[in-house]
Amino acid sequence: MKNYRGISPDLAAVDGHKRINMDKLMTVICFILLLIIVVIPIVMIIYNAFFNEGKLEINMFLEQIRDKKNLEAMWNTLKIAVFATILGTVMGVFYAWLLGRSDIPAKGLMRALFNIPYMFPPFLGAMAWDMMFNGRSGYINKWLVQLFGLSSMPININSVWGIVFVEVSYYFPFVFMQVVSALERMDPTLEESARIAGAKQRQVIWKITLPLVKPAISAGALLILTTSLAHFGVPSILGYAKGIYTLPTRIYAVIYNSGGSFDGIRQGAALSVMLVVVVAAALILQNRILSSGSYDIIKGKSMRPTLIKLRGAKVPLFLLAIFTLVLIVIVPLVMIVLISFLKAYGLPLAFKNFTFAQYQKVFTANGTIAAIRNSLFVSIAAGIICMFLGTLVAYVVQKIKPKGKGVLEVISMLPYAIPGTVLSIGVILAWSGRIAGINLYNTIWIILVAYMARYLSFSMKTSSAALLQVHSSLEEASRVCGASHTESLADITLPLIRPAMVSGFFLIFLPAMREVTTSILLYGPYTRTLGVQIYSLRDAGMIPQAAALATVAIGIIIVLNTIVTKLTKDRKGV
Amino acid sequence: MANVKFDNITVRYGTHTVLDNFSLEVESGKIVCLVGPSGCGKTTLARALLGLNKPESGTITVGERCLFDAKKRVNVPAEKRNIGIVFQDYAVWPHMTVLENVCYPLKKQRVEKSQIKARAMHALEQVHMTEYANHLPNQLSGGQQQRVAIARALVVESDILVMDEPITNLDAKLREEMLLEIRMIQKRLGATILYITHDQQSALQLCDQMAIMQPDGSLCQYGTDEDIILHPANRFTFEFIGVSNFLPLVRKPDGLYLDCGEAFAYSEAVPEEAKNGGYDLGVRPNDIVFDKESPLRARVDSRVFLGSEYNYFLSLGQKQIRVQQSMLDARTKGVANEGETVGIRFVNSRFYPTEKGGRTV
Repeated sequence: MKNYRGISPDLAAVDGHKRINMDKLMTVICFILLLIIVVIPIVMIIYNAFFNEGKLEINMFLEQIRDKKNLEAMWNTLKIAVFATILGTVMGVFYAWLLGRSDIPAKGLMRALFNIPYMFPPFLGAMAWDMMFNGRSGYINKWLVQLFGLSSMPININSVWGIVFVEVSYYFPFVFMQVVSALERMDPTLEESARIAGAKQRQVIWKITLPLVKPAISAGALLILTTSLAHFGVPSILGYAKGIYTLPTRIYAVIYNSGGSFDGIRQGAALSVMLVVVVAAALILQNRILSSGSYDIIKGKSMRPTLIKLRGAKVPLFLLAIFTLVLIVIVPLVMIVLISFLKAYGLPLAFKNFTFAQYQKVFTANGTIAAIRNSLFVSIAAGIICMFLGTLVAYVVQKIKPKGKGVLEVISMLPYAIPGTVLSIGVILAWSGRIAGINLYNTIWIILVAYMARYLSFSMKTSSAALLQVHSSLEEASRVCGASHTESLADITLPLIRPAMVSGFFLIFLPAMREVTTSILLYGPYTRTLGVQIYSLRDAGMIPQAAALATVAIGIIIVLNTIVTKLTKDRKGV
Repeated sequence: MANVKFDNITVRYGTHTVLDNFSLEVESGKIVCLVGPSGCGKTTLARALLGLNKPESGTITVGERCLFDAKKRVNVPAEKRNIGIVFQDYAVWPHMTVLENVCYPLKKQRVEKSQIKARAMHALEQVHMTEYANHLPNQLSGGQQQRVAIARALVVESDILVMDEPITNLDAKLREEMLLEIRMIQKRLGATILYITHDQQSALQLCDQMAIMQPDGSLCQYGTDEDIILHPANRFTFEFIGVSNFLPLVRKPDGLYLDCGEAFAYSEAVPEEAKNGGYDLGVRPNDIVFDKESPLRARVDSRVFLGSEYNYFLSLGQKQIRVQQSMLDARTKGVANEGETVGIRFVNSRFYPTEKGGRTV
C-alpha cells in the first residue's frame, strides 16, 4: 500500500472543502514569487534580445552572433570550460582516491586542506597568480629573469592556459568532495568480492571502484563545467589586459563600454542568449556522454574501506599532494598577504618596503566599510529570504504536490543553470522602471533581487532533501492526535527540517559574501559589495590596497566557514 | 462505546481501485482484527476511517456520528475525529522525548495542564516505558518506539483505536505480553479496536471478531475466530488462515481418485458437486491422522519436534503433504519414523473447485 501513498487522495487533498485552504494559498504564493524573482528577468532577456519597442528586430541579434570578437569569446569560453572540466575532474578523482582509499599519511589534515580551495574566492586566486606570473610585471617572473638572465618573461599567466590553470586549482574540489564522500560510503565488500574472485588491485580500481563512483564523478564534473562557463572573475582578471574575452567578460565589457546605455544592455542580452545556449548545449552533451544509472551500492552509514598500500610510491605521492596544496593554497595566500603590506605595487618584496598603511586605508576608507556592510546586508537578507522561500517551494513540491509541481521545480532550479552575468542583465531589464514603474537600479535592492534568484535553488535543495526524510506518517500522526494542519506544520515538520534550513542559509550566505559575477553589473556608486570593491580597487591600479582588502575578506570567510562547520557538525539528524 | 460502520466505501488511487463498495460494521466494544495479505487495502480502509484519505463514495459513521458522507459532502477533518492510531512505522516524533510524544495529543485536546503529565505517565506505565520518559526516540529500539506509539494512542482514551500492525517489531515474548495488555486496556476502556494485521497468529490470540480481506480488497468473511477456522467461507480463507494441504480430486471411470503423481482411490464421502472431479481436497495438517488400516500409504520424509506437537513431511505419491501429530496422539499411538511408510486418513476434509493455474500444494 505504501506504493500508492501520496499519489492522490492524501492529507493535502482531504482538506479540499474549505474555501481558502493553506495548501492552495502556499502554492499560489510560490508561483507568484517565482514568477517575479525568476521568470520575469529571464523573459525580459529573451524579449529584449529579439524585440525593440514592441517590434521584432532580429538584426541586432544576428549582428552580435556574427561579430568576430563575440565568436572568439564564445570559442574561448568553450575551450576554457572543456579543459578546466577535464583537468579538474582528473585531478579531483586522483586526489579523492589518494585520500579516500590509500594509506597516505596525515589524511585528516590533508582533507581539511584540500577543501580550502573550495572556499577561496577564485578571483582572489587569479589576482595572486597575476601578481606572480603577469606577462609584464609578475614578481616571480621578474625574479626568474634576474636569476637566469632570461631575455623575456618565462611564464605568462595572462593566457587561455593560465585561466584554465587557475580555474582547475579552485574547481577541482567540486569533484574531489563528491568522490571522496562516495568512496567513503561505498560498501567495501564490493571491492573485496572482486579481489576474492581473482581480480588484481589495478583491475579492481578500473573495473569496480571507478564505475561505482561514476555518478559522483559526473555530478562533480557537471558542476565544474557549468561554473566555468558562467565564470566571470578569473577570465576577467587574467584575460582583460591581453584582450582575451569569454562570454561573461565580453557581456560585462559591452555594457561597461556603452556606459550602461539601453543599447549596450540589449547587446548584452543578445550575448546572454548565446551564453545560455552554450550552457544548455554543454549540459545536454554532458548528459549524453556521462548518462549512467545510479547504483544503489552506496550505503548511508559509513564503513571502514580497505586501504590500498602505496608502498614505494607512498613518499613521492605524499610529496606531490603537499606540493599541490602549497602551490594552490599557500603560495597565492602568501602572495596576497605580502603584496598587501607593500607601499606601492612594483616595489621589490623587501622588508624596507613594507607598511601597514594599506590596512589603515582599508579600515578608514568609507567605500571599503560600506562595501563590507553592503555585502553583509545583502548576503544575510538573501540567505534568510531564500531559506524561507526555498523551504516553502520545497514543501509545496514535496508534500502538497499540486498540478504543475514539475513546472515549479524547474523554475526554481532554472537560475542554477543560468550564469550570474545573464541573471544580472535580466534583473536590470526587469527592475529599472520598465515594469510597473519599479526602478531599483543603482540601489542595493536590485542586488538582493538578483541574489535571491541566483541562490534560491540552494536552499530549496537542502530543504527538499530534509522534507523527504520526514515521513508523511509523522504529520498524519499529529493530525490524528488533534493538531490542525497549521499546528502540525509548526509542531512537527518545521522543527524537523530546521537544521537543514539553517545549513541552507549558510550555503547561500557564504558564497554571497564573496560574490562578484552578479554584483559587478548591478552595483551603483553607493552599493558596492566586497567583491566589487576589491575588483575596482585593483582595476584602478591600487593593487596593494586591493590585496589588503582581499586579505581581510579571506579572513572573514575563513572565520565564518569555521563557525558554520562547528555549527552544522553537531546538529541533530532526523 | 461506539460501533464503526463503513458503508459502500470506494477508494481509488489514480486508476487503481483499492476498495470497491466495501461495507463492514464493527461492533461496539469489540476487538476486530482486519486480516488479509499485504496490499489488499487494510491500511487504506483504516486511513479512510482516520480521515487521512478521501473515499470517492460511501459513508463512514462512528456511533451516531457521521464522519464521512460522500453524498452529503461531510468530511470531518482528521484532527476532529478523535480516533487513536498506532502506525505501522511508529511515527514517533524524533525531536520530542518519549514523554513529550505522549503528552502531545493531550495538549492538542486542551486537557488541563495539571492532568497531562499524570495521564501521560499512566499511559507509559501500561506499556512499561516509564523509565524511558526522558529519552529521545533515536535512543530507543524499534520495539520500544512501537510501545511509545501505543502509549500515545492510548493516552486520549478515545472510543475507537486503530492499530496498524502495532507489534510486528517486538520479540515473541513481548508480543504476547502486549497482546494481553491490549486486551486488558480494551476491557478497562470499553473501546472498540480495529486491529490490522497479516499475522493470523496474533489475530487469533487477540480478536473477538475477525474480518478477512481478499487480495482484491473485498471482504470475504466476517465472524468469530472459531467460525472462521471451522467454517471458512471459501478457499481463500481456508488457505490464508492456518496451514493447508490441497490434493486434486479426479474422476476416473471406476470412481474418484486423488491425483498425486500416482492416483490413489478415494472412497470417503464427497459432496454432490465434487462427484465429477475438478475439485481439490483441502485438509489441515492436524486433521490428518495415522491409520494402519488406511489404503492411503505415504512415506515419512522428515519429522520435527515442535515442543507441543510433531511436524511431519510425508510423500503421498509425488506430492508432499504436511501432518501435525499432537503430543497426546504421539504418546498413545507412537511416532512415525523417517523412511517408514504409514497409512494416513483425512478426518475433516473440505472441497473447493480447482483454480485454473492455481497452486495445489
